[in-house]
Amino acid sequence: MKKEGEIFVVHRLLDEQILDSDGKRCGRVDDIELRGNPPRITAVLVGEALYPRRVPRRLRRLARRLAGPERWGASALRVPWEKVEAIDAALHLCCKAEELGLGEGDDPERWMVRRLPWN
Amino acid sequence: MKSILKIALGIIAALGGFLDIGDIVFTTQAGALYRYDLLWAVVLGTVGIAVYAEMCGRVAAVTGRPVFDVIRMRMGFGLGLVALVASTFVNVLTVAAELGGLAIILQLLFDAEFSLFVVLAAIGLVVVVALLPFGGIERVFGYCGLLMLVFLATAIHQGPDWGEVAHGFVPSLSDSKLYLYFVVGVFAAALMPYEVHFYSSGAVEEGWDESNLRENRLNATVGYALGGFLACVLVVVSGFLFHPVGVDPTDLGTTALPAQGAFGETGLLLALGGILFCVGGAAIDSSFAASYNLAQFLGWEWGRYRGPRKAPRFTVSWLLILFAAMLIVLTGINPVEITEYSVVLAVVALPLTYLPILMIAGDRSFMGKHANGMVSRTLGWVYFAVIVVLSISAIPLLLMTNGGGG
Repeated sequence: MKKEGEIFVVHRLLDEQILDSDGKRCGRVDDIELRGNPPRITAVLVGEALYPRRVPRRLRRLARRLAGPERWGASALRVPWEKVEAIDAALHLCCKAEELGLGEGDDPERWMVRRLPWN
Repeated sequence: MKSILKIALGIIAALGGFLDIGDIVFTTQAGALYRYDLLWAVVLGTVGIAVYAEMCGRVAAVTGRPVFDVIRMRMGFGLGLVALVASTFVNVLTVAAELGGLAIILQLLFDAEFSLFVVLAAIGLVVVVALLPFGGIERVFGYCGLLMLVFLATAIHQGPDWGEVAHGFVPSLSDSKLYLYFVVGVFAAALMPYEVHFYSSGAVEEGWDESNLRENRLNATVGYALGGFLACVLVVVSGFLFHPVGVDPTDLGTTALPAQGAFGETGLLLALGGILFCVGGAAIDSSFAASYNLAQFLGWEWGRYRGPRKAPRFTVSWLLILFAAMLIVLTGINPVEITEYSVVLAVVALPLTYLPILMIAGDRSFMGKHANGMVSRTLGWVYFAVIVVLSISAIPLLLMTNGGGG
């Protein structure tokens, strides 16, 4: 599927797996940024900080208290739409995950990962 | 020729890996309590897992998406999270049950403290996973699980009234709540969700594409049919020996006794070995399933094929799940009881993971010409209805029968 033209945003884009240019899995599309009129996709957003707003409205406050950005300091990352190369069975980026700060939890340079016994 | 051999080996591994502690516990108890009457429920469950696994394998081969990838896509974050939490809870319980089963068998083989074997079994699993590649793990446990064929020999040796056995394949319901509880249990034990979570992720691990669809179909039909046949054999063996004398096999070791009755010490050792490998393989499958689900839902890198360096969060979560399961067993709860709870709770969580797969497998925009045809669609929805009914009745039956205690 090409990234220009129309797309069923919720059907094919939201919650999609993101792969970087090396085929590394580096997060899922947790939210989508739309701008303009008619709206165009300008970026996809990724990060744990977005989870609380993905649950039903009534539960949001509780979710934020349990896992909100205030508590864990998790940040949301913005992946500009220009970095999206193609969408098929996953969303493919045209650059490496590290350039956008994605997939940090699996980054071997991160101190927590570095201290694992097999590294 | 080579591909036929490969497929045959895959089927043998599917057969040897079909049974887990849930099947063993529920089929043996069903036989002891109701002789051959529940054989039809084994068949119902086996066809169910075949339909479900075939769809999952097909979706994984065509789109490269394992189950929880699909769940997050189709159910969205909120409902998907419910499915994730429920599945993880059930999967950890299942790992605990399998680990406890392993420890019981080890204890029977080498008499020593139970808790020592729980820890040793967990360490053993880590070593096996660290040393063997993905395909190797599946094959070793699958082939060695074929030791369970000793139960087939036992059944033939016992020589039950085969007409009576055949009668058990005719579905029958009774208003006994305990009977209904066992219908749910036997069905659910065959249709444990971790099996498809593992199966579909395994397809991605092994790099399946459309050329593997035939292998997938044969695994699901022939492999699972043979596995279901073996489950039926367990019912027959137990029904023949335990039903007339009213033995209630609440101990996993009792399951192996019919083989001893037929073939003495050798039979007993073969049976215990078979159970050991079935349960060991299932311990790995279910613990992997739990971390696959977590990683796929959250978008982490995952897979044994990536190795622990490239998928650290996946590997750490796997170790933590194994550790949590070990703690559950070490509390001293009878593993047979943990098994019953894990199986019955699994059927409650099942519709949430089954529905998204059914939706994706039928969606031409994802699956193209490999979308569900008439047969898969009809069977898929019929089974969805069956699963919903059973999942609604599971908890009430569990409470009313006092966990199968009568």
